[in-house]
Amino acid sequence: MDPSSAPRLSPLNDRHLTLGAKMGDFGGWLMPIEYSGTIAEHTAVRERVGLFDVSHMGKVRIHGPQSAQFLNSVLTNDLNRIGPGQAQYTMLCDGDGGVIDDLLVYRWADDEVFCIPNASNAGRVVELLRSLAPESVVVVDHHLDHGIIAVQGPASADLLDAMGLPTGHDYMSMVSADLDGTPVIVARSGYTGELGYELVVPVQLIDQLWADLLMLARPLGGLPAGLGARDTLRLEMGYPLHGHELSAEISPVQARLSWAVGWDKPTFEGREALVVERAAGPARVLRGLKATQRGIPRADLPVLRDGDIVGITTSGTFSPTLREGIALALLSPAVQEGDVVQIDVRGRLLEAVVVKPPFVAPTTRA
Amino acid sequence: MTPDDLTYTAEHEWVRDLGDGVVQFGITDHAQDALGDIVFVTLPKVGVTLTAGEPCGEVESTKSVSEVYAPVSGEVLRCNEAVETAPETLNSDPYGAGWLVELRVDGALPKLMAASEYEGLISAN
Repeated sequence: MDPSSAPRLSPLNDRHLTLGAKMGDFGGWLMPIEYSGTIAEHTAVRERVGLFDVSHMGKVRIHGPQSAQFLNSVLTNDLNRIGPGQAQYTMLCDGDGGVIDDLLVYRWADDEVFCIPNASNAGRVVELLRSLAPESVVVVDHHLDHGIIAVQGPASADLLDAMGLPTGHDYMSMVSADLDGTPVIVARSGYTGELGYELVVPVQLIDQLWADLLMLARPLGGLPAGLGARDTLRLEMGYPLHGHELSAEISPVQARLSWAVGWDKPTFEGREALVVERAAGPARVLRGLKATQRGIPRADLPVLRDGDIVGITTSGTFSPTLREGIALALLSPAVQEGDVVQIDVRGRLLEAVVVKPPFVAPTTRA
Repeated sequence: MTPDDLTYTAEHEWVRDLGDGVVQFGITDHAQDALGDIVFVTLPKVGVTLTAGEPCGEVESTKSVSEVYAPVSGEVLRCNEAVETAPETLNSDPYGAGWLVELRVDGALPKLMAASEYEGLISAN
């Protein structure tokens, strides 16, 4: 979207202002960064439950004969690994193997699929899918007429039970539920590493749903949580964020997301370039860094080993769970897990050890 | 909210006159609120001489880094080591236990903003 235009407002904007949220621009949307504080919200999600408004994420319906087959010829992951009612993490690459976006795909049927791209890339994803789609396949942009509430944390199932929404389904699957006579999607998925659900609902229902969920969440020790906590939670899991760990310049092979590429498929966007890169070995590899001294790494800082620059951080923060600095970094393939490196934090060298994420054990399947 | 017995800078630091040419400084309530949860503090070394307006430390929250500017020139007498191990003190008690540095001022104490003037500044932003 045009970066000079005013940011879009979430359908829950008034709720956030009433709750006293600090708002910030994210992907062209004015979204809550924090309410009571990032650490309190992070802890609520790890120990109890948190409610996130993620309505800025894109929503795209792809329907018509052979919709699934069409998407499988475009997106990296093998959509035939999952069946009806299941969700999959996948990517849309360009011809050079760069990542245009990473997205979640809900497969309902061969002729009915729903995608969740990132806020800032949603327009591009819709445009590209439309340009590639055969005549039988219709791509409908639901970005503005649907919102998404993520309910995340060990008490998320209790909260949805109290709300009368379904919770019995497996991780990375979804069901359609009835909310006041309107169908809503209840997907068991999330970006926090906790047991959790993402509710995709028409905007006319979302205000009341948020209010009801928040009222039921309070006695469970739940909190509304902002994008600040969402970022610290996803970083503890080592989950990539497009624009940081994935981009036109950072391929799935470099980001160690080969598991989300259907290498045996005859065709998908970027296949040729990615097969070559995979065979040759990537020039840089995404790894985790854990600070062994007091200090907080941030994005875009040089990483050194024995005085030589061996890479750059892509994201970094203070881990509220570990109470130490953590980062993701693109490093030379010569750097191995267990190596000690230094992160150049504005002229001060912060010692860190190279580790394999996640930094905190996930409980998504618990 | 903004204590009357302190003076303030446009960089959101407060200064407390301890007498005998010694001052204590820290960051304001407005500054800690804007930063969010403070998780890391870097302070100058005892004995170094700070120059008014120059960066002398850093305060980091979960989401961002902010420099601390020396509100006055002078020699560092004492730093608050307690906030290095408990940085959240800057959020909970910015004008008290969350103080950062004590300085021996070079020359006369410069004129800084009064509480009412500082409140005018932050409400204008």
